[in-house]
Amino acid sequence: MTTGGTPFAPHTDADVEAMLEEIGAGDESELFDIPEEVAFEGKLDIEARDEPAVKSDVSRMFARNDDLTEFLGRGHYSHYVPSLVDHLSMRAEFLTSYTQYQPEITQGFLQVLFEYQSMIVELTGLEVANCSMYDGASALGEAATLASRLRRVSGDTMLVPTHLRDGKQSVLENYCDGAGLVVETYSMDDGAVDVGALEDRMDDDVVAVYVENPTVRGVIQEELGAVGNLADEHDALFVYGTDPVALALLEQPAELGVDVVVGEADTLGLPTSFGMGLGLFATKEEYLRQVPGRLVGASDDDAGNRAYTLTLQTREQHIRKERATSNICTNQAWVALRTAMHAALLGPTGLVDLATDAVENASELSGRIDELSGFRAPVHDRHHFREFLVRSDQPAAAIAGDLETEGYAVHVVDDHLLQVCVTDTNEAAMDDLVAAFEEVAR
Amino acid sequence: MSFEIPDDLRYRETHEWTTTGDTVRFGISDFAQDELGDIVFVELPDVGDTVEQTGEFGVVESIKAVSDIYAPVSGEVTAVNDAVFDKPELVNEDPYGDGWLIEIEVSDEGEFDDLLDADEYEAQIE
Repeated sequence: MTTGGTPFAPHTDADVEAMLEEIGAGDESELFDIPEEVAFEGKLDIEARDEPAVKSDVSRMFARNDDLTEFLGRGHYSHYVPSLVDHLSMRAEFLTSYTQYQPEITQGFLQVLFEYQSMIVELTGLEVANCSMYDGASALGEAATLASRLRRVSGDTMLVPTHLRDGKQSVLENYCDGAGLVVETYSMDDGAVDVGALEDRMDDDVVAVYVENPTVRGVIQEELGAVGNLADEHDALFVYGTDPVALALLEQPAELGVDVVVGEADTLGLPTSFGMGLGLFATKEEYLRQVPGRLVGASDDDAGNRAYTLTLQTREQHIRKERATSNICTNQAWVALRTAMHAALLGPTGLVDLATDAVENASELSGRIDELSGFRAPVHDRHHFREFLVRSDQPAAAIAGDLETEGYAVHVVDDHLLQVCVTDTNEAAMDDLVAAFEEVAR
Repeated sequence: MSFEIPDDLRYRETHEWTTTGDTVRFGISDFAQDELGDIVFVELPDVGDTVEQTGEFGVVESIKAVSDIYAPVSGEVTAVNDAVFDKPELVNEDPYGDGWLIEIEVSDEGEFDDLLDADEYEAQIE
């Protein structure tokens, strides 16, 4: 509780007194109803320090990080972000702590978000994209609740692949728990969806089937139209997890019968950012009224000028409260702006080149590791995007530890499985990584 | 401003109207469409669904508000006016005619006694 006025809560004691008197309250604490079992009565014990001291502490903390060349992926990917994106996105007109939605004063920002949505629409082939969710995991959760809202008949099962990142699975389960849905898995066959097993598993209880392409192990799945057909036959939604770079190369989800595309759009515009994301969400126009999140629309003003505004807000909780499509009223607007800038700078050709490199680098690097004794790569006999599994004769954790000593970071997936991710930001170190693998195998 | 309030209909306090008999049509009143303003979207149940006098049976959305719409009497839906999905403005233009919403087979005709007649409804909106 702040009294006495601070630059951030500029109420003097007299102001507070006057306000309390006006509303007939004796004390500020009467305005809050905090259950005793969660109220914290102690001291927070936070030591106040000046800025230079904090800076030097933090620098010392950062210095404890190992300076490793990372070949890490599994959901977070590093692609080179042109410095122009920094310069443009840091302009004061864009960089505010508050997303700018008021159409009278913020046509520029709204136009950027509209452009972002348009790019996602173009990449997915679906008709509608929102201007982002928090991250890929929350977008997946929203897709599950969308599916349960759309379905006319009963059913409560969301099917996901066995190969799914734990964090994503746990966020999804959180969403599903509240919506009365259950999350169940279907099995994979050599790293891709086992269509036969999925067909056996499908019944009228299933509200949605989730497929990732590429998968968390980097596998590019083919023939996914069969999943679209299966979902259709059972009145279930086909939810598809991907990212904008992969979409530049892979078949458009709309062609496969996909109903909702989710994923991390921050593969463009952001460096690997320790959990920060940009939730991609696109769907069919027929589900427009059920889309969660914010939508920017374009129209003409009364003078005939192109004008942008948030639209269809009656889906949202500030209008409809308990009947809203989502309890999230916000998004990652500034990150979406950076993603749109990055995509625009690359252009369609640059985006396809980046995606092509992701396939070719993975193929080259896995091939070279495969030639070394004691390793087999890729483990799954399929095309890969950015990353792939390596089977190691020696325990994977030991190999990863030795690689770390050599200055390289890779994932440990299992007792004898490692995962390696290569993008444009670390491709120059491929030769060195192969040499390090050779070194540690001895 | 005077609103059209046909004498042969019954009204719910929440501004829905119904015809009388064993199979009836529902819609929203002239007053309601005027209050809402330009209607841009209508959500209705499917044929075969059951509606309850105590519950909402759909949603009417205008450029300034979203309103749940309530069933004047209970029963099973026998027809839905598909025309209002493509042309929601029909509800504004002709709320008692082309802008009707659903038709139901009434399960309890005693429920009509709970509704307002034209005079009572007129008194309510004055």
